[in-house]
Amino acid sequence: MLTPTSPVESPYSRWPAGVKLALVAGLGMVIGALSHVALLAMALALVWLTFLPVGRAEAARLPLRLRPLWPFILVIGGWHILRGTPDVGLAVILRMLIMVAAATLLLLTTRFDALLATFSTLFRPFERLGLPVERIALALAMAVRFIPVLSQRAADLALAWRARSARNPRHRLLTPLALSALDEAERSAEALRARSASV
Amino acid sequence: MSEFSHGIELQFASVTLGGKPVLEDLTLRLTEARIGVLGRNGSGKTTLLRLMAGLIAPDRGQVRVDGVDPFRNRKATLAALGILFQNPDHQILFPTVEEELAFGLVQQGLTPEEAAGRVAALLVAEGRAHWAKVPVSTLSQGQRHYLCLMTVLLMQPRTILLDEPLAGLDLPTQARLARRFAALPQRLVTITHDPAVLAGADRVLWLEAGRIVADGPPGEVVPAFTAEMDLIGAQDADADLAG
Repeated sequence: MLTPTSPVESPYSRWPAGVKLALVAGLGMVIGALSHVALLAMALALVWLTFLPVGRAEAARLPLRLRPLWPFILVIGGWHILRGTPDVGLAVILRMLIMVAAATLLLLTTRFDALLATFSTLFRPFERLGLPVERIALALAMAVRFIPVLSQRAADLALAWRARSARNPRHRLLTPLALSALDEAERSAEALRARSASV
Repeated sequence: MSEFSHGIELQFASVTLGGKPVLEDLTLRLTEARIGVLGRNGSGKTTLLRLMAGLIAPDRGQVRVDGVDPFRNRKATLAALGILFQNPDHQILFPTVEEELAFGLVQQGLTPEEAAGRVAALLVAEGRAHWAKVPVSTLSQGQRHYLCLMTVLLMQPRTILLDEPLAGLDLPTQARLARRFAALPQRLVTITHDPAVLAGADRVLWLEAGRIVADGPPGEVVPAFTAEMDLIGAQDADADLAG
């Protein structure tokens, strides 16, 4: 699942999703105003500490969960080193790590349908302006369904490659993966039509 | 003409895909309770199923399901007809079992609360109340097939289209599903390349290159189909090059 909901029932699980979203948004504003690297590093440490009520195992897993961010760290860091502003780069990287860590904690302790319900409530007022809230909620739910499907497909393609090649597939799987995502989209459009009157 | 509104009717229906004719001038009236469509890969079986389900429109001719155009009148079609895709992963749209089950009901006009009530009742009746919150990605292949069948049954259509319903399942799952299908009160249209699946059918159509080559009781159509398939298989095995 995309939503890495933790099986551990933590105090955060009982907080309303809207409150947690507001807290993450507030955190974003606070660290956006901070530019001091030491303060940002402290903020990251604090966010990490807030993982403890979910369990030590989950807190220890945070670096692993943040690891996929390395290409961004490389690009942002490299750019700022080239420009001679390593401090700014470090601050941007720290902000990114803080926000992803906070969002991870939110996802760990919030059921996806609760998030969707909050989303629908928040955006209900915009419905009158023509924002298709129901459709967006449907699209989000389908994204949660299809992200594991596509990552499984990527893994299958990598296996199929390895079954017939000694070399590492790397980027060469991107085209077949993109094509199979398009295929998948076509099939889901059909499945949607098979059970709905409006789509 | 009173029976026009009953069953699936095609009149000179043709479908062309990518410039190639896939179905040509099909005229059919399907009113039996158990109907089978037999054909090889590429014979147009799945296109015929999509056409009958209203997922595609004919390029020429007409399609009617219980009297309505299944492509244009989606709302009425949802009550008339359900479709079980060959691959459950092409059918499941939502991350959890209860969301997947509730979707079609809401589309039929139930409120989300009513739909949730019906879903909960079904899961209890099926002895699967513990499935409600389960992510669909954790279900086995057989369980996903079963979920798709439940999804269609919840919508209570009068006809169910089945695309290779038993392909790729292990024998116990096949036996269980076949029993379940046999007990359904609905009209079933089963599309398959495997004649064994159609043993209990009332009527079997044999589709070849987008046309009906035979149409009758399984006792007539199945032996002819099997003989022809054996013949083609034997010819294929002959791979000698000329010269």
